[in-house]
Amino acid sequence: MIIQVKNLVKRYGDLVALDHLSFNVKEGEIVGLLGPNGSGKSTAIHCILSLLKYDKGDIEIFGKKMTPDAYDVKRDIGLVMQNVAVFDELTVYENINYFCGLYVRDRAERKRLVDEAIAFVELEAFKKFYPKKLSGGLLRRLNIACGIAHKPKLIILDEPTVAVDPQSRNKILEGIEHLNAQGATIVYTSHYMEEVEQICSRIVIIDKGRVIASGTKEELKAMITLGEKITVEVFTIEEDQLRVLREQPGIMSVDYVSKQLIIKSDKGNNNLEIVLEFLKANHIGFGRIYSELPTLNDVFLEITGKQLRD
Amino acid sequence: MPVFNLCLKIIRKNWISISIYLAIFLVISVLLSTNSAPKETHNFSQEKAKLVFISKDHTPLTEGFRKELAKSATFVKIPDNTEKLQDALFFRQATYILRIPKGFTENVLNGGSMQLEKTIVPNSAENAYVDLSVNQYWRLAKLYAKHEPQLSEKQLADKLSANFSHNTPIEMKAQIRAKTDQGFSMYYFNFLAYTLSAVLILGISTVMIVFNKNDLRRRNFCSPVHASSINSQMILANLLFAAISWVILVGFCFIFDSKNIMTPNMIYFLLNSAVFTLCISCISYLIGNLLGNLRNMSAVCNVVTLGPCFISGVFVPQQFLGETILKIARFTPTYWYVQANDEISQLTRFTWTDLSPVFYNIAVLIGFSLAFLALSLVVGKRKRLTDR
Repeated sequence: MIIQVKNLVKRYGDLVALDHLSFNVKEGEIVGLLGPNGSGKSTAIHCILSLLKYDKGDIEIFGKKMTPDAYDVKRDIGLVMQNVAVFDELTVYENINYFCGLYVRDRAERKRLVDEAIAFVELEAFKKFYPKKLSGGLLRRLNIACGIAHKPKLIILDEPTVAVDPQSRNKILEGIEHLNAQGATIVYTSHYMEEVEQICSRIVIIDKGRVIASGTKEELKAMITLGEKITVEVFTIEEDQLRVLREQPGIMSVDYVSKQLIIKSDKGNNNLEIVLEFLKANHIGFGRIYSELPTLNDVFLEITGKQLRD
Repeated sequence: MPVFNLCLKIIRKNWISISIYLAIFLVISVLLSTNSAPKETHNFSQEKAKLVFISKDHTPLTEGFRKELAKSATFVKIPDNTEKLQDALFFRQATYILRIPKGFTENVLNGGSMQLEKTIVPNSAENAYVDLSVNQYWRLAKLYAKHEPQLSEKQLADKLSANFSHNTPIEMKAQIRAKTDQGFSMYYFNFLAYTLSAVLILGISTVMIVFNKNDLRRRNFCSPVHASSINSQMILANLLFAAISWVILVGFCFIFDSKNIMTPNMIYFLLNSAVFTLCISCISYLIGNLLGNLRNMSAVCNVVTLGPCFISGVFVPQQFLGETILKIARFTPTYWYVQANDEISQLTRFTWTDLSPVFYNIAVLIGFSLAFLALSLVVGKRKRLTDR
């Protein structure tokens, strides 16, 4: 086990930020901590890294208790923080070299690692640039390079794609998968469910400082009753017809908003066929039809009754 | 030592602004020190009158007399014209006009009462030396002429010259402290308080503020480098910067006041300023730990630098400051630093009794340094713990 968090409690006065939070991370996994803003993801990360004192609970990393003085454990951890944490006074190369230098003393080895990190985040052309001259996306890449240059076994990325353009975001996500393929275990926090779905092998959904669900994305989706969401472009439909549709077998809910008929149905039924037959039988004209499988947002919605981005 | 190297890099990055401060302060310091240093010295040295010597009597004795006068007067050449001579006196080109009438030597040697003609600027103290020389020379000439009448005028002039060649050695015994020629050094080292404070606070606080940024501090904290090692590397780099600044500033004093390099007073000036540098470094370390961002630093730097300098006698000597102000100033290290400089500038003897006030002031400075260092370490640790 790479990380084991047991019954972690952290209070800020009366506010309980982490409420008996427990989860673990196995070697080689990409574990996503998913939750809305303020759910306790960053607090959990800070507690895991001993950056924050916690009131109760146990944290073990690499099988050893994590404390502020656990320097042996820290040696194998790479941290990419939510805010870009680099020195404005140093160039791109110097920044990576400095942070790598905190872990690797040997100059030649460090130079090799720094060059690799620069190549990894594709900042070769910006080596001599100062951070203030870099765009938001490039800064984020520099931030990542500073955290991973020393080739850690465990990489913790705290919302590394906040305020990043789609192109840079894709590069960052590809990079994370690549790091994992090289053998690093990754803990990735985000409130972007698409990112978490895309790269994480296991997902821990957190809300109000508690783990409300965890598993692979398939396992999480299997937890909920929603099986399919069908959206049909319908130009006009009567209230009576909607009521009849709601009574069809396997249909969970029917809404008609902005000429969009949204039907949520149970798993395992041939719902699309039922809907289309109903529309034909009632001579209801329709346009485009979409069928979607449930997302993590649907999982979150069904468990908590609110949207991930509420 | 990555943290040590990084601190130096941050300082180097800010070197231009620090150098501008340094250059401006140096120019101001040198100008003010030069103008503020007392012009007159309080050691004994003979004043010389500006003398117009007109001799109508050309004899070996008048020639000998002229040579003798050169010891107590500076000769000024003005044409023997009444109007020009009066102008020379009016415009203080000359303070004494001495005219030897024709036949004066013969008259004096024969016991006559012919007198020298003198015109002087009233109330010129230096003219008294000329009067003394005149009286001494011609009285002695009269005496020789009376008792050794066989001597020729040439022999008489030689004897008088030999007589006046003897000097009485004078040893100054400083009953009260004599003022020495340490005026420039004292003023320069006093102004150094301002320059050093500004440069060190700017440099050291910048490093500390950069390192204390929350995210950077957290990132450093997550590394396997011990917190104590990070702290000691930072302190070491800051001390190196302080030492370099001190050497540069003191070096300029050596250039502008080279004659005092080898005096014992200079050793104590250096010791005092070195301890003060240490003290200001500790204050800068504390400010860096307290301040959250670089925007506030300039304002805080000005207040912390200028305030103590104004009330402690850096710009205005302490004797012109009110008692209440000085009482307040005692709570600042600058006061004790200036006090020590004043004491050092007046030192002519270096016994324990003379040096004890200097050492007392320096000891107070060391006390301040330790207090500020302890405070900044406590603040730093508290900040880290609060953050956690």
